[in-house]
Amino acid sequence: MTKKITVGIADMKLARQEGELITYALGSCIGIAFYDPMIKLGALLHIMLPEKGQANDSNILKFADTGIRETLRKVYAFGGMKGRLVIKIAGGAKMFEMKGAGNLGNIGQRNAQSVKMVLMKEGLRVKSEDTGANYARTMSLDVATGRVVIRSAGKPERVL
Amino acid sequence: MAIKKYDEMNELGIDMMREIGSIGGGNAATALSSILNAEVNMELPRVEVLGFNAALHSLGDPESVVAAIFVELSGEIEGIMLFIADKEFSHAVLARMIGRPGGDFLELDEIDSSALTEIGNIVIASYVTALSTLTNVKVELSVPQFGVNMLGGIMSLPMAMMGQYSDRIMMIKGKFKIGGQALNSHMLLLPNVESLNVLMKKLGVE
Repeated sequence: MTKKITVGIADMKLARQEGELITYALGSCIGIAFYDPMIKLGALLHIMLPEKGQANDSNILKFADTGIRETLRKVYAFGGMKGRLVIKIAGGAKMFEMKGAGNLGNIGQRNAQSVKMVLMKEGLRVKSEDTGANYARTMSLDVATGRVVIRSAGKPERVL
Repeated sequence: MAIKKYDEMNELGIDMMREIGSIGGGNAATALSSILNAEVNMELPRVEVLGFNAALHSLGDPESVVAAIFVELSGEIEGIMLFIADKEFSHAVLARMIGRPGGDFLELDEIDSSALTEIGNIVIASYVTALSTLTNVKVELSVPQFGVNMLGGIMSLPMAMMGQYSDRIMMIKGKFKIGGQALNSHMLLLPNVESLNVLMKKLGVE
């Protein structure tokens, strides 16, 4: 049995050589898996909102922009190389329609756009993704193999 | 004094929200009781201000599949009301309403899903009517939306709404008992921070 490491909401975990990083029931949130196959280094980030904006919160992992930058800083510090990084994303669903209350609009779609934009600015691109639609997804990254699996209620598992 | 984050709310404010939850929930239980023609009780409401992960786990396993009725509040109070019911609750309600439990929870037919939507809508509307009468604020309700999905996914939208300004979210929680049976359901009022200031001002809680 591989060791399971749970990544919460607005959270990020890293693992080397072995272990399964897993984040549960992504709705409009996005899970971003970073993997360097050469040194078997993996990181999984779970963001909730597109950008930090004026918020003066302490939790930078809540936002796509600050969360991705912080994760990359750690990945590079652990020896990950930009040219080798394989990035896969999942989530960004539209669970319900919402009009007012903080201009959330289609927050899932905005999260996905923001994630891709921030990665592009960092010189990275998304290799594969399972985003959008209207259902929640559980995402896991096996650090020994780099395999990313998506699980949804009532649907077959999908390997990204 | 206006607050900017949920955790800045003092004891008096929390008591006020609990009172709102109690009156709203009581009204909702009465409405539910008359549709189902059964005794419906509401457990004492709880007001919780928690971090995202703790809030989600307090409702159940994030991967558990639940039915949810989602209504957006606008006007003087902005936020979300959610009625969340697990499979047992949904089947018990359907058995009483249409005389048979629902089929596959993830593939509910139109009759089942509209019956559950209607239940959620009535419960939410009675809750909000009580809230609005008590506090003398105008609240408009959106058309109810229905979904059956993982609890974590259902909660992601309210969490994103509340998480924009704070690392903690506020839930005014209520639970129903039908015919003495403690079935798993949650009645959630999720106001934005500005609405709390409106309510505190209206009710003279500072």
